[in-house]
Amino acid sequence: MKFVIEGLTVYFPYEFIYREQYAYMVELKHALDARGHCLLEMPTGTGKTITLLSLITSYQLANPSLAKLIYCTRTVHEMEKVLDELRRLHLYQEKEIGSSRAKILALGLSSRKNLCIHPVVSGETSRESVDAGCRKLTASWVRAAAETNLDIETCSFYQGYEKQGSEQPLPPGVYTLHDLRVYGRQRGWCPYFLARQMIQFANVVVYNYQYLLDPKVSGIISKEMQKECIVVFDEAHNIDNVCIEALSVNLRQNNLDGASRNIHKLNQIISRFKETDANRLRQEYNRLVEGLAQQGNLHGSDNWLANPVLPEDILREAVPGNIRRAEHFVAFLQRAVQYLRERLDTDTVVKEGPVSFTTTMSTAAGLDQKALKFCYDRLHSLLLTLEVTEIDEFLHVQTVCNFLTLVGTYTRGFSIIIEPYDERMPHIPDPVLQLSCLDASLAIKPVFDRFQSVVITSGTLSPIDLYPRLLNFNPVIIHSFTMTLTRDCLCPMILARGSDQLPVSSKFDMRSDPGVVRNYGRLLLEMVATVPDGVVCFFVSYSYMDGIINSWNEMGILQEVMQHKLVFIETQDYVETTLALENFRQACDCGRGAVFFSVARGKVAEGIDFDRHYGRLVIMFGVPFQYTLSKILNARLEYLRDTFQIKEGDFLTFDAVASSLRSVLRLFVYLYQRQAAQCVGRVIRSKADYGMMIFADKRYNLPNKRNKLPQWIQSQLREEHLNLSTDMAVHIAREFLRRMAQPSDPQVSKSTLLSQEDLEKMAAMPNF
Amino acid sequence: MEEEDKAPDMEAWERAYADDRSWESLIEDESGLLKAGDDVQQQRQHRRRLIQASGPRIQRGIIRYLCLILDFSRAAGEIDFRPSRMAVVAKAVEDFVREYFDQNPLSQLGIIVMKNGIASVVTELSGSPEAHIRALKSNLESFGEASLQNGLELAHTYVQHIPSYGHREVVIVFSALSTCDPGNILETVKKCKAARMKCSVVGLTAEIYICKHISQETGGSYAVAMNEGHLKEILLEHVPPPAAMPDASSASLVRMGFPQRGSEGAVAICACHKELRIGGGYICPRCRARVCELPTECSLCGLALVSSAHLARSYHHLFPIPTFDELLVDASLRGKSSFAGSCFGCRIQLSGGGSLRLRCPRCKRDFCFDCDVYIHESLHNCPGCETLQEEAVT
Repeated sequence: MKFVIEGLTVYFPYEFIYREQYAYMVELKHALDARGHCLLEMPTGTGKTITLLSLITSYQLANPSLAKLIYCTRTVHEMEKVLDELRRLHLYQEKEIGSSRAKILALGLSSRKNLCIHPVVSGETSRESVDAGCRKLTASWVRAAAETNLDIETCSFYQGYEKQGSEQPLPPGVYTLHDLRVYGRQRGWCPYFLARQMIQFANVVVYNYQYLLDPKVSGIISKEMQKECIVVFDEAHNIDNVCIEALSVNLRQNNLDGASRNIHKLNQIISRFKETDANRLRQEYNRLVEGLAQQGNLHGSDNWLANPVLPEDILREAVPGNIRRAEHFVAFLQRAVQYLRERLDTDTVVKEGPVSFTTTMSTAAGLDQKALKFCYDRLHSLLLTLEVTEIDEFLHVQTVCNFLTLVGTYTRGFSIIIEPYDERMPHIPDPVLQLSCLDASLAIKPVFDRFQSVVITSGTLSPIDLYPRLLNFNPVIIHSFTMTLTRDCLCPMILARGSDQLPVSSKFDMRSDPGVVRNYGRLLLEMVATVPDGVVCFFVSYSYMDGIINSWNEMGILQEVMQHKLVFIETQDYVETTLALENFRQACDCGRGAVFFSVARGKVAEGIDFDRHYGRLVIMFGVPFQYTLSKILNARLEYLRDTFQIKEGDFLTFDAVASSLRSVLRLFVYLYQRQAAQCVGRVIRSKADYGMMIFADKRYNLPNKRNKLPQWIQSQLREEHLNLSTDMAVHIAREFLRRMAQPSDPQVSKSTLLSQEDLEKMAAMPNF
Repeated sequence: MEEEDKAPDMEAWERAYADDRSWESLIEDESGLLKAGDDVQQQRQHRRRLIQASGPRIQRGIIRYLCLILDFSRAAGEIDFRPSRMAVVAKAVEDFVREYFDQNPLSQLGIIVMKNGIASVVTELSGSPEAHIRALKSNLESFGEASLQNGLELAHTYVQHIPSYGHREVVIVFSALSTCDPGNILETVKKCKAARMKCSVVGLTAEIYICKHISQETGGSYAVAMNEGHLKEILLEHVPPPAAMPDASSASLVRMGFPQRGSEGAVAICACHKELRIGGGYICPRCRARVCELPTECSLCGLALVSSAHLARSYHHLFPIPTFDELLVDASLRGKSSFAGSCFGCRIQLSGGGSLRLRCPRCKRDFCFDCDVYIHESLHNCPGCETLQEEAVT
């Protein structure tokens, strides 16, 4: 359908649009018009992606001055979904306005691991080894050597790309990663380098958050993006954590050991070079005297990671004299590693700011701050000069340099915490030196500054006014959309009491109480006997989960649960969890029914959807507060309080509610089965997905927690669903499930959809 | 208020006795107030189902072989239906069996019960409703798990011997929420699909994925009962004969025998009970064996034995009376003469409200809701049309 929003013709590839999608478009357009940033919350499963794409591409068509749309997703899977939607949209646009006007080049970009088509290299398992494998075949000196010596192996795909690809750009269209690989195979071009080159010409680029937020990566990939770009962060509810992780470094014993080995090896290579090719080292020295600025014109395949420091903080001067010579620099690193090793060898927790850390560093080990700042670039340059290709072997020394550079550059918003052991396991010595970024706004600031419009959107951004403070920006539009439901297909409940009417909670003083454990067990038992197919349970932490499952086992509750459903448990081992999930799905498919025990903030909670019959019910046992004795968390809380005036309690509650919500929303309700409804067009199949969520803790009843739920869940949370006991919850669940199993009335669902005529009518009304 | 204006033709206390479980029609609204269910609304709902069931005139398969699989696992002992799910199911099934043979005299039915992880035969495929009901009533106990796979496998072995013109149907009444299978049920579903078994599921608790999968794959229906009344309704939806199989549309002749009733006092060895019986019974016209009840299949020569009355009763499925159209009573029209008048069937005043006004599209006569139900579900003749024909004759 095609309609006009305030003078802008929007092409929408479906025959109907939902009211909230339309409202979303209007708000988004206002933000784009104002060339400002915006923060939009819209429920999961209401078709955010297509709404965003449809409006922004239409906006691009109307305003050719707009450079491109940069769409950031969290996972490769999401990326492919976005590109699929975009393809559908593109086909529609072509049909509407002809292929010449609707010309669009859209592509996804991911790491070499996902794009490489070289038969040997692509078989490598880790990202680093694929990168290194690629480098071995494509580094400039390798290729130069291969020209004379035919025995040296190179990558035929890269050669193919070099020869022709660089002149002949990709024909317009929408390319997913898979398409790129297929295209690369057909032409014999390297899809990774092709994609990287084509970014400059593309109208829509879809890639990972990191490509914009992590300065190490964005320095290479996103450097050339124009200001007139629109940046979208989808599923951005934990964007602050991504920002913080981008600037944080952890050093452990094995890193330092590895770094020592690396340094030793570097020394060997340097001495070998000195004997054979001393001239090369001298050239590097001269170049460094002139400054590192020349590094920009390095060959495309040679630079692999840029400076970890944000672009504007990089010093534009020559490398200080004391680390210009290769052997001096290596000695410098050796001293630094030695110093860090000493610091790590402690039996008390140490917390320091970067300033005092660098000061003691320079007095104790003679490592001055100025030189620290250049470590990363200097190492980079050295590795190039020494023509090292096995970069995956030098990861440890890179981590150390990364740390040194960050510590040298930043004085605020960071803290250094040295812990001799994990708080929870005090007998096992596991010293770790953490440079943790406390300020999420640091990493994202360049993005806000550089680009015209940044859109941050997700299903759960509540409380929505906290995000501008955390990220320190001024959005022009903040809006939280509710949804129009065809029926009450979402049933949130707050359970405060067990079957014996005593309160239940995961509060510290109550959590080991056998009464509470039994009540939680009875709740689970009643629910598995009431709810069909898949049930997912979330606990506040691994240790709590282990404890409670043990007690249930002793009480015989687990055995009773097993009579109704099979039990699967998430562990910290990724492979085991994946296997458990697969079997869980199978058990749900074949009608046996299954229950999955998982941990809030775990892998499952943050990344896996339990849609349809896989998650008819999600139970959140307790409120998942962060581990408040964690030193890093405390440092961050302190910083937030001092800098942004955000109270500790506020942040903790926000974080706890948000993460329990994210867990619970893994029951990813496809509210309308949009695809079916919108693709089929006239025949609306409104048999939608449905699910229940139980927040099992009396503290959810408190208004300060309840109010932090997003508006669209609060509107479903009815008065009579608060403060429930187990038997009442069972009753509600029974009724709900019976009601939802009835075929729904197609007439009702049609009223939430707007057709083209409806929109035209609305536009004709002046006061809309 | 609007509801008070309508002045229902039955007072609230009268209604309470007319209905078996009047409290179930009470609805609690959001503010906690109780509201009596709307009569007219209920009538509309009833009709909607009728309309859905009827559709255009289609060829129907009136020779059906239906396997009823009942779940008497532990879950059937739950008491959210009073006195227990099992008792309620048994009662509903009893009604269903009677109704089934009433409307499908040429068809057969067998009952399978799932309990304790296995499926067992209660009655083989046969024609007598009383035998089924008797066997079912003597089998009422629930324990163990339910296994859909075992149930389907058992039904599958039965259905295999059915002649190709017969419709193979399975109706599962499922109380449990899970199925405990010895193997992969998805394979069994494929097998059932290949054998052209139409499997429908009636659930008692909630929507279960595998049940939905079974019914979707094999072309059956899936419904979940809200309450006892609803359970009966959705079970009875399986009573009218289904549309004929598309590939079996080429007319083929079915050999049938119309046996005579044996003379009173004649002594013969009964072929179905394998013992000496005196009097009654029917004699197979081909092999002269004696059978006790009709319709059935001769156990000696395998001839389908029916009486002509049975065939005649199946007739109305082939030539259904059209569904009546609802005339919306507009407030402005209510006073006018064209809308006065009474039901053609029972002479009740239609202008008072409380009942829908329904018009036969052929004879243009108006009927009340009760007459509509009677005409479509029991009488199968429209009195209006019949009188028109009589007038034409005279």
